[in-house]
Amino acid sequence: MLPRIGLGLRLLLHNRLRLLIASASVAMGVVIVFVELGLLLGMLDAQALIANLVRGDLLIMNMARVNLHRWDKIDLVRLEQAAAVPGVARVTPLYEDHVGLRNPADKRVRRIILYAFPPDDIPFKLDNPAAISHALKISHGFLYDRLSRPIFGQFGVGDDIQIDTVPLRVDGYVSIGADIVNDGNILMSEGDWLARLPDSKPIMGLVHVKPGASVEAVRQRILQSLPPDVTVLTPEETAWRETLYTLRTAPVGLLFAIGMLAGLVIGTINCYQVLYNEITDHLRQFATLKAMGFSNHFLRRIIMGQAMVLSVAGFSTGLVFAWLADRYIAGQSMLPIGVGPASGVIVGCFTVLMCMTAGLIAIRRVAVADPAALY
Amino acid sequence: MNELGSLQFPLAGAARAAPVVVARNVDHAFDTGAARKQVLFDVDFTLERGEFVILTGPSGAGKTTLMTLIGALRSLQSGSIRVLDTELAGLRAAGQREIRRRIGFIFQDHNLFDALTSFQTLSLAMEVSGRRPPRSEVRRRAVSLLAMLGMEAYLDSKPRQMSTGQKQRIAIARALINEPPIIIADEPTASLDAETASLVIKLLRQLVEIGGASILMVTHDNRIFSAADRVMNMIDGRIAAPL
Repeated sequence: MLPRIGLGLRLLLHNRLRLLIASASVAMGVVIVFVELGLLLGMLDAQALIANLVRGDLLIMNMARVNLHRWDKIDLVRLEQAAAVPGVARVTPLYEDHVGLRNPADKRVRRIILYAFPPDDIPFKLDNPAAISHALKISHGFLYDRLSRPIFGQFGVGDDIQIDTVPLRVDGYVSIGADIVNDGNILMSEGDWLARLPDSKPIMGLVHVKPGASVEAVRQRILQSLPPDVTVLTPEETAWRETLYTLRTAPVGLLFAIGMLAGLVIGTINCYQVLYNEITDHLRQFATLKAMGFSNHFLRRIIMGQAMVLSVAGFSTGLVFAWLADRYIAGQSMLPIGVGPASGVIVGCFTVLMCMTAGLIAIRRVAVADPAALY
Repeated sequence: MNELGSLQFPLAGAARAAPVVVARNVDHAFDTGAARKQVLFDVDFTLERGEFVILTGPSGAGKTTLMTLIGALRSLQSGSIRVLDTELAGLRAAGQREIRRRIGFIFQDHNLFDALTSFQTLSLAMEVSGRRPPRSEVRRRAVSLLAMLGMEAYLDSKPRQMSTGQKQRIAIARALINEPPIIIADEPTASLDAETASLVIKLLRQLVEIGGASILMVTHDNRIFSAADRVMNMIDGRIAAPL
């Protein structure tokens, strides 16, 4: 069924105020879908943030660590064993723990994630690694993630900040980002960390393979060489595993899906209501067209044309409001939420589907237009 | 070009031999059971080619029902109606639609889309055959028809820019734009002033005499009885007698 978009547009444009209200009512559903999708994608991105940020060909982790928010550590000896496997250039240990950071303004201590690693082998894809490396070599210093949530307060380079009751100097900033669970991050040298907690174990090892070596072959050799208490994944596999875990195991995937469904239902109902009113207001005109010999199919094409116009108008209006809403939510949550091209295409398709569904329901109304009733 | 401008009615000049509408033994009732109400009783009616017939009579006499049956706007229950050599009894929806495309309907209300200009209304009406005629052809025919109705200045006007009588003339143009061999009209002059009503009746008369069209009109307006070839009186579901 090819919609009569031109005719549908002409009929809708006649009452511009009504079209504006109709667009806004369809946009309401669009905004809900956009925000829910933005939150879901932003949350998935945030949950897989570290996996996407690490530098390494393979990651060795404790087998029990089925997602990155578990604290199952790996014995250092496993990293040393992996380093001895042919094809492995080096294995960088990465320590992770949560520590209490005292807000210098309100004096409240809040949990923040601490990453520690050898200063000469930065495990994250960060800007200016040489400066980071240099800063971390300064004793008792740490680098603060400027994308941490503002609950930790304001402090400048050179300030002494209390971390787990020990004053440490802020030696610089990095940009990593928060996620749903963690509010922020600090980076510290492996030496400083082990000086405080000598028995600490790494959370993972970052395997760098030798140039020319096959990553898959090295992975197989590591798995064959090491006891079965470790798992070896590429960063991409780790990120995907994290996404799947969030979608399947954590209920958030379902929650956001329900939210999006609610948005679609609201948009469909609103669009249906608009189309229903349009048909009701023009029932005699549609009956006249039927009397003239136009088929129900032709009338359906007009309604579907109007549905298509509403989907474009509703999407455009919704896009603007969703962009504003996402900016506000991103600013408040410090999560990477935003309207991207992919989510735009997805929501655009959903909007067309939503309005077409409403149109298909509404066209039943046009079928009852009785030309005999015109006399 | 004759007095009908560029309009070319397909039956122009055709012999008056074969009637365009032949109704025989037509009964019709609404509702069923105890609520059943019969409105037509054994009606016989014929409309010849190039004939202008007025159907009059009191309200509830069955004029409208007969008109809607002849216009294939509702299905026949009993009897036979042949329209343009097609039997309507047992005709399916698609067949009824085909018949309706060959009839020009004029209703008491104009039923125009507020959003469409006169040109767009006539252009839409011309799409009924399933094809969209070239814009130039639509314009040529629309201008010609509107000129005959004294409405050429309103080609690009929307209904809100017109009086009730002007809207009705656009509705008449919509019924005539496809040059139908049969025109069925229900009180077409009810909303028109005397002068405009006279103009419309003159045009309809020309369609009959020059275009060969056949007209069945229901009206109580005795000012126009003289324009008809026959005036039939309908009482209590039966065609009583010619007036």
